[in-house]
Amino acid sequence: MGVTILQQFPIENRTGPATIELLTKRISALGAVQQGHFLVDCETYSSVANLGPPRTVHVLHNSEQPASCFSILDTGTKTIPLAADGLFDLLMLKMNYFYQAKKQTKAESKGPRFEIGDFCVKLGTVTVSQNFKGILVEVEYRPCVVPGMCWELIREFMQGVLGSSVQSNPPPYLATRMQENYTPIDTIHQYLEHFTMFRKSPGMRT
Amino acid sequence: MTDLEQLQTALHSLKVLRSNVGIAFESVSNGLRADHGEDGKENKFILELQELLSTVNNNLRDVEGAVSNLSIPPGPFALGNTIYLSQEVTQERQSLYVQLVNSYKWTDKIRDYSALAGNILASNSVNKTYKTFSTTKRRKTQTSTHNVPPEVIENLITGIDRLFPDVTITASRPFVPNPVIQASLSRVLKAVIAFKGLMIEWVVVKAHSESNDLWTESRYKVFKKVTENCHAAMCHFHSPTMPELAVKSFMHWFHSYNTLFSNPCKRCGNYLYSNLPPTWRDLRTLEPYHEECK
Ligand SMILES: [Zn+2]
Repeated sequence: MGVTILQQFPIENRTGPATIELLTKRISALGAVQQGHFLVDCETYSSVANLGPPRTVHVLHNSEQPASCFSILDTGTKTIPLAADGLFDLLMLKMNYFYQAKKQTKAESKGPRFEIGDFCVKLGTVTVSQNFKGILVEVEYRPCVVPGMCWELIREFMQGVLGSSVQSNPPPYLATRMQENYTPIDTIHQYLEHFTMFRKSPGMRT
Repeated sequence: MTDLEQLQTALHSLKVLRSNVGIAFESVSNGLRADHGEDGKENKFILELQELLSTVNNNLRDVEGAVSNLSIPPGPFALGNTIYLSQEVTQERQSLYVQLVNSYKWTDKIRDYSALAGNILASNSVNKTYKTFSTTKRRKTQTSTHNVPPEVIENLITGIDRLFPDVTITASRPFVPNPVIQASLSRVLKAVIAFKGLMIEWVVVKAHSESNDLWTESRYKVFKKVTENCHAAMCHFHSPTMPELAVKSFMHWFHSYNTLFSNPCKRCGNYLYSNLPPTWRDLRTLEPYHEECK
């Protein structure tokens, strides 16, 4: 598990599949080899009125950690992350009376997964309740666990693949945690940040 | 024909030298034997060794003498009249030409290689033997490098541990002559280092998440490269006469990998080359370079 940077890739006036194809071509030309597919999904639950102040629970899965289920509890004042095993999904079903799934908000990012050197690149097509919303590109540098050490290196790699759309600063979630050891829940936080923005945008987010 | 005779003499004296060196080593490795008896067996053994070594010394002198008598071949060999063998018509002699060409190629290659080897050996003296026999003043007994008391090694390891604050050393088998230690370099990487006495014998570099096993290499390309480079540096810093300094110099060099992911290459200014960070550190300046840029 190394440091992962997640960023949106502008589709401009292309379709989603055409954008994925473009990026696949670019990265294959650099020597990347496809190693299967990946999927990150997110379901959001809100607390019922008689449970007191409103709280939100986001439940996410990442195919990279297939035996885990991640959840982030948002109380409005703070967020509490939790990594549990797959049974947590069943627990959420049991808590149906207190936490109900928000309608039409199931978000997903899925697509091909590539390996190139020590990097792992995932090209994700994002849908919110089956509607195409945009493209998310995930780049993981696996040998390093401290974001502050390898951010510049990852940025250089991303610029090689994604060109000028790469931000000059780390994602806001990571920016405050640059010297901490990176863990899978940090990837989940980054996905949630993007999913939340995708849900807010009415059409495609380009 | 005297040329050939001299060559034969040189080859013969070389053979004698090798054989006597073999005998000397055999005697050293066997140690005391039964036929040394009981009384003063150590002295007898030492005398025997001295005799063997002086024979070796004499043989070496013979070889050097014989070699200096040899004349350097002026240039590539010409085939002379033998080239007409290609026009041979008799069936059973036709194969001679092929053999001739093969041995010609062979001698030609030997010429090339020995010329190269001669140049390299002339500029890099391979004389690693500690030569202070002549000056009686510095007749200090040289500390053995591979057979030292465990405390000495333990001291060396604690010394290194104190030297670099961001290198944490855990010794899995302390207080034994050949310890294996794990050196963690801040949060960048860890190295498993095997000692043979005061000498570093083996190094494997891995990610912190990987096992401490000395025999499996890292699954990451970057650490495989760094492992290779550590082996090169290990040989470079190796010094049988100053083993402690060798280990310290190596650790000093190794310490410069704390910027493995965060420093760009000194030559090209980039972080990545073929998807790898600068995995080489200059042995003197410790500056980071890509393997292709050094
Ligand atoms: Zn370079």
